[in-house]
Amino acid sequence: MNIRCAKPEDLMNMQHCNLLCLPENYQMKYYFYHGLSWPQLSYVAEDEKGNIVGYVLAKMEEDHQEDLKHGHITSLAVKRSHRRLGLAQKLMDQASEAMVECFDAKYVSLHVRKSNRAALNLYKNSLRFETVEIEPKYYADGEDAYSMRRDLKEFVKESKSKLEERIEKIEE
Amino acid sequence: MPSSNPLPPKENALFKRILRCYEQKQYKNGLKFAKQILSNPKYTEHGETLAMKGLTLNCLGRKEEAYEYVRRGLRNDLKSHVCWHVYGLLQRSDKKYDEAIKCYRNALKWEKDNIQILRDLSLLQIQMRDLEGYRDTRYQLLMLRPTQRASWIGYAMSFHLLEEYKNALNILETFLEQQKVSNLDYEHSELLLYQNLVIQESGDLKEALRHLEDSQEQIVDKLTLKENLGDLNLKLNRHTKAGEYYEQLVQRNPENTGYYGKLIEARQLTEPKDIVDFYLRYAEKFPRAMPPRRLPLNFATGEQFRSLVDKYMRKALSKGVPPLFVDLRSLYSDRSKTETIEGLLLQYVEALKKIGKYSEGEANNGPKEPASALLWVYYYLAQHYDYLNQTEKAISYIDAAIEHTPTLIELFVTKGRIYKHAGDPQEAYKWLEESQALDTADRYINSKCAKYMLRADYVKEAEDTCGKFTREGVSAMENLNEMQCMWFQTECALAYQRLGKYGDALKKCHEVDRHFSEIIEDQFDFHTYCMRKMTLRSYVGLLRLEDVLRGHPFYFKAAKCAIEVYLHLFDEPLKDESAEQELNTENLAPSELKKLRNKQRKARRKAEQESLQQKEAQVKRDQHHKSRQQGDVEADAPQLDELVPDKLARVRDPLEEAIKFLQPLQTLAKDRMETHLMAFEVYYRKRKVLLMLQSIKRAQQIDPKNPKLHSCLVRFFEHIAEVRSDWEPCIEEVVSRETESYFAGKGAHALNEDFLERNSHSLWAVLEGAKMMYHLDNKCQSRAIELVTSLDNKYQDVNIEICTDVLTSLRNGNFGSCEAQLEEFIKKCNSLFPYTAAFKPPSEQVSPSESNHICQEQDSYNSN
Repeated sequence: MNIRCAKPEDLMNMQHCNLLCLPENYQMKYYFYHGLSWPQLSYVAEDEKGNIVGYVLAKMEEDHQEDLKHGHITSLAVKRSHRRLGLAQKLMDQASEAMVECFDAKYVSLHVRKSNRAALNLYKNSLRFETVEIEPKYYADGEDAYSMRRDLKEFVKESKSKLEERIEKIEE
Repeated sequence: MPSSNPLPPKENALFKRILRCYEQKQYKNGLKFAKQILSNPKYTEHGETLAMKGLTLNCLGRKEEAYEYVRRGLRNDLKSHVCWHVYGLLQRSDKKYDEAIKCYRNALKWEKDNIQILRDLSLLQIQMRDLEGYRDTRYQLLMLRPTQRASWIGYAMSFHLLEEYKNALNILETFLEQQKVSNLDYEHSELLLYQNLVIQESGDLKEALRHLEDSQEQIVDKLTLKENLGDLNLKLNRHTKAGEYYEQLVQRNPENTGYYGKLIEARQLTEPKDIVDFYLRYAEKFPRAMPPRRLPLNFATGEQFRSLVDKYMRKALSKGVPPLFVDLRSLYSDRSKTETIEGLLLQYVEALKKIGKYSEGEANNGPKEPASALLWVYYYLAQHYDYLNQTEKAISYIDAAIEHTPTLIELFVTKGRIYKHAGDPQEAYKWLEESQALDTADRYINSKCAKYMLRADYVKEAEDTCGKFTREGVSAMENLNEMQCMWFQTECALAYQRLGKYGDALKKCHEVDRHFSEIIEDQFDFHTYCMRKMTLRSYVGLLRLEDVLRGHPFYFKAAKCAIEVYLHLFDEPLKDESAEQELNTENLAPSELKKLRNKQRKARRKAEQESLQQKEAQVKRDQHHKSRQQGDVEADAPQLDELVPDKLARVRDPLEEAIKFLQPLQTLAKDRMETHLMAFEVYYRKRKVLLMLQSIKRAQQIDPKNPKLHSCLVRFFEHIAEVRSDWEPCIEEVVSRETESYFAGKGAHALNEDFLERNSHSLWAVLEGAKMMYHLDNKCQSRAIELVTSLDNKYQDVNIEICTDVLTSLRNGNFGSCEAQLEEFIKKCNSLFPYTAAFKPPSEQVSPSESNHICQEQDSYNSN
């Protein structure tokens, strides 16, 4: 499995992966909109043959107030056939780092279905997202969403110290 | 140039209000003001007002009237740039881009410096890839608006796309010199990276490296920066420097397999042993990263491979990582690795059963493995044997796994897949349905289940299954179409093709084709958008992608289906509809007949209703699109013709329709053998000698030994022998020169005999040879059939797929009538492949009607 930043030619295959895995779907134009507005923020996981097995589609919510600049996860999916490899977390980490680096994001936000326990667990426990509020009837079928966010100031520091640690290890 | 018929101040003010209303989308008001002008007897025929009225009507969906008014306006004022511009906008909204360009050009004749018209023209030019025209228009825009950023960027980009790098770079440089930059300026950073891309594409890598090193501080996208620095250093053989950058990249994203490969290149490691050591060092540094543990398995051999893969698998099996097999599958190209893996797994089974460890020699060290380890070993072995086509073993292991843990969804999916590979789509789909029932909230399982249903030709059931995840209030088919769900539509098409519902199959293929057109259309808004956002690298990437969009495998699959169906419809046109129905109703009692008629009537009514709903949905969708446009002038998208299955299937010239699907493949999928084989079939039927020859030559370049190509050659030979006396001398010359090497003076018969002799070990090849043998001389029937039905040891490629091909050929009459041999052949296949549905004796076959599926019997497939 290979994790890398998404290119324009990946977008159609991301749409395919999305249609297989998730109930919220978008037309190609919306994928292009992401890829052409914030080309650094979307990532894919691919197998050896180059098939997309997971992706994160992300964007920025631009805000004039510095503190409110933040990224947003539009969609995150990993094929069921490729679960338990930790792909979702690795995809999210890469996207988050790029949000901070390129767009000075302070936090990253997302929505998750109330009933989607697996996702909720991932966001809460593995990625340390916090629930900000419940948005009633957020989804087209009437289900509520948890609106969640994760602070990125913290994340950057952490990944920097991790990096330094690694560099030391390698230099040893 | 001013209008030839200027309005007095009062009317002129009204006219300006029409323009404003148009810009602000207040179309009703616009019409009101137009009426006020036109009701003045002196101005009833005022050209520009009439044109604007037309354009406004177009935005309200009244297209016919729109054209009427715009044309009338233009006729009344041929020298008005407004009238021409409006006519261009109207044509543009109708996607008649070439026409629109002509109109804009006319408008510019009368008003050569009109910024708005120049901008509109430039958009169409880039959309149509009229790059030279685009450059000229961008030049004018730059001259008129030298202070605007987009003017410079657009002009530079036009040179870049024309591959005139020097000019592109000069303009970028001049522009950048005028810029003042603050830190952390994303747009400036993107512009520098774009500039660097142009330098790289110009071929001057040293300059590109220098440029990038100089601009480092100003580039915020550190990932792209380092990737490029690494790549450039590597290409310039500066290995140490390249290594440093890739080292940093690996640290940043240790899951990227490409970085390790580049790092190995930078360190100039070539010996497998060194590469394995390299990875093992990184596996220690990054214990959570996958590549440094997985990739050495590609390079290690013998005992080292055994010990590494042993460790790798144990870890995954203890943890319970379902994708272990798909992760290791690519190692199976090496037979000794496959055997090593199999040996280890069989050892695990024994040891886990006996002492709960992976090896019996480890009885005394450490704690036992979790109980689930055995389950995952079974699961792996089932996939392992399935991959090796050992169906029976695969099933026994998956059954053992299911007995161990009866609630694990993956197991049922795998069981279904085993049956699918063994050629039993019915049984396969039952197991997928089982797994779907265990987790109805998971769309992935739902999608797989629907796919298996389609493979078993249950279209309605598949649609209903997908419907659990599509929007309420719209039919699932409609919603999936709206969401551009191409896998579903293509699988539907293939199912319809098998069922002999050719019109329905074509409808699905055309829907897929339309998605591609729509995606190409989608570019339009990004031409201005990206210029503003400065994401120019991605924008160029988009333009290049759109140029080859139909090269995507999704298009290939749908186009192939469409071409095959059109070929079939050419060979066997549909009979008259009513006659067909009579055929089916002959044996019915009057009461049943009445019921049937009622049913048909209801179905028709339902179909009508659905098509009405679809139309409404289309309108809604257009409005939705429109509301998302960003203030751009975009009127209603043109209504596409409705796709009516029956009309599609009764098209006047199926071969011309096939060619429409074929052409994109000939340019964008020209490295695929099937493209040229299909092209031959089309042109063979059109009796186009030179195009047949072209297809053969292209196929020859890809795979000269392909048996299907042989069948093309034989038929081509036969054809030219028949028609060559009527040729022009020039054609005769070309064909005889080009075919000399293929035929070497031999006749079709001799050619075929040669081929059969050379390929006597391959059933696939012999099938094509034998078909041609019968085709050339039907007196050879028994020998031809004998060749393909005697499945003894002389063939090295007897498998389910090829045997199914043989069966289909026998049934389709490629060997004439041969009932007895057919039955005999099926029996033979059945003993070789007991799981394959197609080879089961009729008594054992599950009839689709058993489970009240509306679905035509297998025969319709056989008549293909």
